[in-house]
Amino acid sequence: MAKIVLRRVTKSFGSKVAVDDLNLEVEDGEFVIVVGPSGCGKTTTLRMIAGFEAPTMGTLHIGDTLMNHVPPKDRNLAMVFQNYALFPHMSVARNLSYGLRIRRTPKKDVDSQVHEIAEMLGILALLDSKPAQLSGGERQRVALGRALLRKPQAFLLDEPLSNLDAALRAQMRVELKRIHAQFPVTTVYVTHDQVEAMTMADRIVLMNHGELQQVARPERLYAEPANVFVAGFIGSPKINLIAGQIEHPDGASALRCLATTIPITPDIADRVRSSQSQGVTIGIRPEDILPCSPLGATPGQPVLSGCVEVIEPLGAETHVAVRVGGEIVTCRTPPRSGLEVGSTINLSFDIAQASIFDASSGLRLC
Amino acid sequence: MSADQAVAALPETTDPVVVRRRRSAARPVLNVLMLVIGLVFLLPLLWLILASFNPRAGDSLALPHPFSILNYHLAFHAGAGAAIGNSLYLAGVSTVIATAVSTMAGFMLARRRIRFKGAFLVLILFLTGIPVTLLLIPTYQIFVSLAWLNSRFYTSIVLASMSVPFSIWLLKNFIGQVPREFEEAAAIEGAGEISILFRIVIPLIIPGILVSAILTFINSWGAFLIPLVLDANPADTPGAVGIYQFMSANGQVQFGQLAAYSVLFSVPVIILYLISSRWLSGGFSFAGGVKG
Repeated sequence: MAKIVLRRVTKSFGSKVAVDDLNLEVEDGEFVIVVGPSGCGKTTTLRMIAGFEAPTMGTLHIGDTLMNHVPPKDRNLAMVFQNYALFPHMSVARNLSYGLRIRRTPKKDVDSQVHEIAEMLGILALLDSKPAQLSGGERQRVALGRALLRKPQAFLLDEPLSNLDAALRAQMRVELKRIHAQFPVTTVYVTHDQVEAMTMADRIVLMNHGELQQVARPERLYAEPANVFVAGFIGSPKINLIAGQIEHPDGASALRCLATTIPITPDIADRVRSSQSQGVTIGIRPEDILPCSPLGATPGQPVLSGCVEVIEPLGAETHVAVRVGGEIVTCRTPPRSGLEVGSTINLSFDIAQASIFDASSGLRLC
Repeated sequence: MSADQAVAALPETTDPVVVRRRRSAARPVLNVLMLVIGLVFLLPLLWLILASFNPRAGDSLALPHPFSILNYHLAFHAGAGAAIGNSLYLAGVSTVIATAVSTMAGFMLARRRIRFKGAFLVLILFLTGIPVTLLLIPTYQIFVSLAWLNSRFYTSIVLASMSVPFSIWLLKNFIGQVPREFEEAAAIEGAGEISILFRIVIPLIIPGILVSAILTFINSWGAFLIPLVLDANPADTPGAVGIYQFMSANGQVQFGQLAAYSVLFSVPVIILYLISSRWLSGGFSFAGGVKG
């Protein structure tokens, strides 16, 4: 096992900067997920760690060894590819044992290790099959098995579940967590799916346009996003981002948004004032906006009145889009809420649960 | 009327609906035309086979009368067996050399960043268009200075070099179709370049290698000028040169023996095609290796 350290790593392809000044440390045995939209630089980062791309600037260490110009075959890493990359002309057994055979492992040891890993992954009956005869889930298990057999110092996984159906993806997420608990090897996992990131990661690395946005534990990323992009990317349904202004009626501080004035604490007011920003963006999670009576649920909390525009029943809950003060706000309600499109609804939220961002820079203020 | 109402209004029937395809009037004409074209190409071959069994064969198409294998006996007596053996040697060695060189060159050109790769590829393409007659005299002079004349092996090298440019282009394109993930997966498992080429890439481009090998073999099999100029040893005479000498013998053309000799000379190539067609019809199959 080993620690992976990227210091000021930049990767350019001609004039295009794919990864810009990335600083990242992955601790020994940690399961880190790099997530972000397409083109954010996550796969390029993984490929640099694997050795398929060399950093244009910066250093990459795995363990204590500088790896910038070390070829992939000498890094002792194992990788699971998005498209499986199983060798089509080899059987499952030969695919699994490829790395061991390259290293001239004795045949008896190869056979026993292949048998052991195949049994663990439930693919014992498939050892003589060719990849073309396998289902997507089976191929993914074989790819995982090939990586596990190597006993590398780190695992790299490039969107390994993206080609599976939703049910199988959910099943494999659990499987991967179980495998990592059994083999706590340093793991760097790349995905565009924030659900995978939230459910599996010890820490999440969120990237956008080649730049690191935030590195934190999933719950911290969700509750305290560093900027508007992080807030909008993590969480489903998406966070409500509402434009607001700080006002000082009668000497007190308040937020003006959604055609409502909301009193704020002096602490929040100080932080906003220190940023010298004129406008703010308020981020409120849909689960923090609750239907209430016209008088409000809790004293001091604002009551917003709006018109229901869209209702999305999801079975266990319902997502409701409400037009409030000219903006659309999404909230979560229990199923069978009895709401109808066009009906009036009253909503309430606690400003202390909200995130406030600088409107111009997008950075978190509080 | 709604869609449901329209469906409900349809008459009930249990008879299967029969769809008759309208025959095109041009179809029979096209069939006859293709038959005529096919016959035009098949007629010389038909003459060849019929003449080979006809002791009194001429230059016109006629049924053998009597049917005899005398021509084949005479063709063997004239050295057909040894000539075919020499052709097998030349074609075989040149195919092995050309395929090996082209596979390795094609791999590097397809996969590695090489300075001036584009210019080099254009140069190779240009080389495929150079006629052998332009190169024969300088090649002969080189052979003289190196004392390589009258050697089947060195003649094979020249035959191989004539096929290498085209084979490089062919194999480079075949290798380019192999998904890079396979090589990357092999590399991260610990495989070096040679191992990747021989254990991963080559097994996946067998049809491409066969195409290249067959083309090289056929070109070398039928080579006339190069063996004629570079190897004057009568014992090394290949089939194509042997047929020429056979035609000139006695100032007459023995059509029957010529036809038999030609049939014998064609047999190895036909067998090669029949054996390799099984591999070639399979095409590329990366099924299961990568998604899609």
